[in-house]
Amino acid sequence: MSKQSDYLLASEARSINSAPFDGISHELCSRRKDVIMMSADLSKYTQLDSVKRDFPDQHLEVGMAEQNLLSVAAGVSKAGFVPVATTFACYATRRAYDQMLVCMGTSPLTNVVIGFTPGIANPARIHHQAAEDLGMVRAIPNATVIDPMDATEFGQALNAAVDLPGLVYMRGHRGNTPCLLNTGHYQFELGKTYQLRGGRGIGIIATGHATQWALEACDILEQENIDHSLLHVPTIKPVNEAEIADYCFAHEQVVTIENHQIVTGLGSLVAEIVSNIGRGPRITRLGVPNTWAPGGTLPYIREQLELDAIQLAKRIKEVSGE
Amino acid sequence: MSSAIESGSNQKRIRELKLLAAKIRRNVLDICMQRGGYAGQGVALADIAACLYFDELREDDNNWFHDRFVLSNGHDAIMCYGAFAEHGAYTMDALRTYNADGTVVDQSPIEGQLGFEITAGSLGQGPSQSAGIAYGERLKGSDKRVYCLFSDGELQEGNVWEAAMFAGHQKLSNLVYIIDNNDLGATGSTATTLSVEPVPEKFESFGFAARRINGNSIEEILAAFEEAKSIRDKPYVMICDTRLFVGIDCLQKTLPMAHYVAKAQADWQAGLAEIEATIEALSQ
Repeated sequence: MSKQSDYLLASEARSINSAPFDGISHELCSRRKDVIMMSADLSKYTQLDSVKRDFPDQHLEVGMAEQNLLSVAAGVSKAGFVPVATTFACYATRRAYDQMLVCMGTSPLTNVVIGFTPGIANPARIHHQAAEDLGMVRAIPNATVIDPMDATEFGQALNAAVDLPGLVYMRGHRGNTPCLLNTGHYQFELGKTYQLRGGRGIGIIATGHATQWALEACDILEQENIDHSLLHVPTIKPVNEAEIADYCFAHEQVVTIENHQIVTGLGSLVAEIVSNIGRGPRITRLGVPNTWAPGGTLPYIREQLELDAIQLAKRIKEVSGE
Repeated sequence: MSSAIESGSNQKRIRELKLLAAKIRRNVLDICMQRGGYAGQGVALADIAACLYFDELREDDNNWFHDRFVLSNGHDAIMCYGAFAEHGAYTMDALRTYNADGTVVDQSPIEGQLGFEITAGSLGQGPSQSAGIAYGERLKGSDKRVYCLFSDGELQEGNVWEAAMFAGHQKLSNLVYIIDNNDLGATGSTATTLSVEPVPEKFESFGFAARRINGNSIEEILAAFEEAKSIRDKPYVMICDTRLFVGIDCLQKTLPMAHYVAKAQADWQAGLAEIEATIEALSQ
């Protein structure tokens, strides 16, 4: 393990935050009175309770209407506030994509959207899952797309997001969320990539929830003495092409892991960067394949899609040839 | 002030607005005859534009508008251009590049273009954005009023009703919706495609104060704007019945249902001659 990983990751005693957004949103609203937390009848399920209770003027409910959520939010920004529109990722993107692109994407004003239970992190299959959100928003010119890996990064990224121009789409975490990063040393910077494990064997690139999965697989690889490294890429757009290219060209084999379809998301992004240069390493993309993910508990869904720690480690080993 | 003087002053104001509306109609034809455009809507909305830009919206200290106007249906930007030529925000030389490749005078403007608050054109998104602006202005304690123009065809978009439910629930009395009720969608009569009536009753059930008016009567438009300001606990909607090319008879006869008018489609010179005669008569 490299020094950098020791430095960035928390010690063995990792804490769990049972309601990360409750604290993150409360802290932000107490500090920034221009921020308006908005919800579409899901504040209870995105854990926005404390803001609603303590700062009622900074909470705006639009009802079960996501197109309205994003377009009203765009109006709120035009009155001088910073809206943070919260709902599930599937509704924020699929249901209200045109409002996101037109009302927020063409505006220079800060419009933050947080998509909770992204990818397969929702037990209700297909309609509540969102395995295509990163690709959809990545296609909007000048948008910012962030997929934080844990509660620590979620809070830091949101604090950065409210000062960025234009549309910022973030994936959110709810419920028991680990604090994996060292809160004393880690600092989120837009566009920066973070090497969490150092090694010269196979290169692993992950983002968001999938960085948690990658770390679990890395623990198995380490026990089996498989040389590897792990690069965490929280900013999907604007992407740091140079850091990703440097990392990829330092490895003969690269595996990408994402809580997303293997098309249009992180894997595609890495492949685009490498192919632009040419003669790069082979990229193996792991994530949701061209199928509907099953419903159920996250461990079950991951197992079915061969994304649980044991199967991920096995698939990485197969790619590495060890 | 005696009522006779007041009445005289009001008549002068109405006469001036009628003249401005006629000039806006002329500007719309001048702009659209270059390469085509949404001439019928621009002409039909001239009375609303005159009342809005030259009477209702209050000025700020920078020769701009204190109150906020949100255009939802982008193609009705032609109405704004006709008025901006009189206001001075754009020159007629600039406006004559409307619909030209590379122009900054967009047929359907993008947020940030002078005079336009939102990217208008994906229909049904102005009502909710203007409701968001009205909510934010009220939250700030500002006295700014927010006006949003959209069309009866847009009423077929679900987002409009999500916005109406929100505005009614929030009792946004600083918000005024202006509906261009011209019975025309992209392919023909709204009544035939998918009826949107009864429009006032629908909005009333969403918590609005509503009034149906003749959208080409300066008197009725001014009265509706006054009524809107008197209502303290509800948003207001004025359903403005209009028809394409109202005010230029020769074009209304030949192009009664032309959603878009190509350059070769209209007898622009006949239309210009008619509206110039109207301007001359109103200038007496």
